Amino acid sequence: MASDAVVVFAPTSRWRRRKANLFAFLAAFAFVLALIPLVAVFGYIFVNGIHSLLSVDFLIQDPPADLSATGGGVRNALIGTLEMTGLASLIAVPIGLAVAIFAIEVGGGLARGARFLIDVLAGLPSIVVGIFVYASVVVTQGHFSGLAGSLALAIVMLPVVTVSAEEILRLTPRPIAEGARALGLARWRAVLSVFVPIGLSGIVTGILLGVSRAIGETAPLIFTSLGNNFFTLDINQPMQALPLLIYRNALNSGFATARDRAFGAALLLILIVFGFNLVGRWLTARRRLAGSSR
Amino acid sequence: MTAPSDQPRATMSLSPATLQGLEARAAAVDESDVTATQADDVDLAITVRDLSAWYGARRVIRDVSMDIRANAITAIIGPSGSGKSTLLRCLDRMHEVVPGARSSGTVSYQGVDIYDPRIEPAAVRRTIGMVFQQPNPFPTMSIYDNVAAPARFNGLVKGKAAQDELVERCLRQAALWDEVKDKLGHGGTSLSGGQQQRLCIARTLALQPKVLLMDEPCSALDPIATLQVEELMSTLKADYTIIIVTHNMQQASRVSDVTAFFNMGEDRAGYLVESDATRTLFTNPKNQLTEDYVSGRFG
Repeated sequence: MASDAVVVFAPTSRWRRRKANLFAFLAAFAFVLALIPLVAVFGYIFVNGIHSLLSVDFLIQDPPADLSATGGGVRNALIGTLEMTGLASLIAVPIGLAVAIFAIEVGGGLARGARFLIDVLAGLPSIVVGIFVYASVVVTQGHFSGLAGSLALAIVMLPVVTVSAEEILRLTPRPIAEGARALGLARWRAVLSVFVPIGLSGIVTGILLGVSRAIGETAPLIFTSLGNNFFTLDINQPMQALPLLIYRNALNSGFATARDRAFGAALLLILIVFGFNLVGRWLTARRRLAGSSR
Repeated sequence: MTAPSDQPRATMSLSPATLQGLEARAAAVDESDVTATQADDVDLAITVRDLSAWYGARRVIRDVSMDIRANAITAIIGPSGSGKSTLLRCLDRMHEVVPGARSSGTVSYQGVDIYDPRIEPAAVRRTIGMVFQQPNPFPTMSIYDNVAAPARFNGLVKGKAAQDELVERCLRQAALWDEVKDKLGHGGTSLSGGQQQRLCIARTLALQPKVLLMDEPCSALDPIATLQVEELMSTLKADYTIIIVTHNMQQASRVSDVTAFFNMGEDRAGYLVESDATRTLFTNPKNQLTEDYVSGRFG
């Protein structure tokens, strides 16, 4: 009887099974390989930065004028980062979404041109963005400012937000898009009330991607917001940011206090990005309707 | 066209509002003169003349002329590629939303050319509603909002009470109310396929259209859901003109009053072979092709 079963269901050959196992092993190996730098970087920063973060002073005090001095925190950089990234988001998100919607819904030569420029922008080194804002804003105004930093970060964010939103909106199922059309809805109404809600989690993910990209940028800020050692909310003043603070302190890593400050700020930056992503996911997950399979 | 003679065509100014005006007039005629419109049995909703349609350079329907009776169910049957869906999509200007698609000829609703440049396509689509092959409720909206939101967006209903009333009325008309009245806040896509299709019908009815175009509305549904939708169509024809594209000849013979048979010509464009009362077309067709098709000898 056993031989009959073999005739009916011909077993996989040993060679094919070996090949399948080999590929499964290679895929698992590549996965682990890709994970190593991620775990190593996060682990290293965590181990070196956690003791700075555990002190409350680190969050509510400004750094000392002399980076090699002990004590002080990163309050000015934390607030500066949040303020400049927030302002950059206020600029980049509406423009990015508008370009994406325009490219999808209107199309034509103007849309293709705008999309091409956005792609070029995405490939621009961020230090070039910094130099551009320096030449156009800082030189014109005659001083470094948080506003200039925000503009530079907005330019860095813009292509990320636009490209991801456009790709998500392009995925709107055709039957749904035609359904909205056949119900006589105005195009802007269909986009805002039907297509955007469908793609919302993807669009939010794209925005968070843009925020994460901008929040960690150093190069565009060096010539624009410059950084400082005191606390300010005034966007017309030079403004400190976490990446700038990490950069300046890491340059002085011969001093243990500066080194610790840099690691603490780096860990804080990672946790902020992580927190943004968690909140974004939670916000979009909460909107699901009862009984929906999605 | 059976426009009442006391309202001469010359006084009609074609504008987006004209369709609405004509509807109101048509409704008035319906109410005051029911017996007359039923008696002569030739009250036409839609007149198609020399309609051709293209996707890019390819002609998909050729020179179709047909009259569609008001308050009746017209079935459009024919083999794949005979242009049935394209014809349907030309009747509410949905054909033109596909890039590269165009059409020529005239389609008149109540005597008004729906392709007149002064008429908004969206206004046509509100008056001539469409139900698709795949149920397509808006996935992020509740059952309630699937019905209420399109009507609200089109400015047809204002305020919570009016919306509640509209949602209940349309869901009842679509024979769905009893199944969903306790879960109106649930997602539209949480329903079964047949329920979703009836939800889409309710959503279209909420716009108070005069004509319902249905593009193989049952092809994604099981036999029980199909029967429910067919029964629903029979009920709705008292108030609406219904045009249904179907692959299913039994369905055409079960539900329709008039059947139009389309075929694909040698130039690969669809054309109208013949159109007649459903019973006549199925039992005593004039054209040999029709007879071959309805008796299952081709297609």
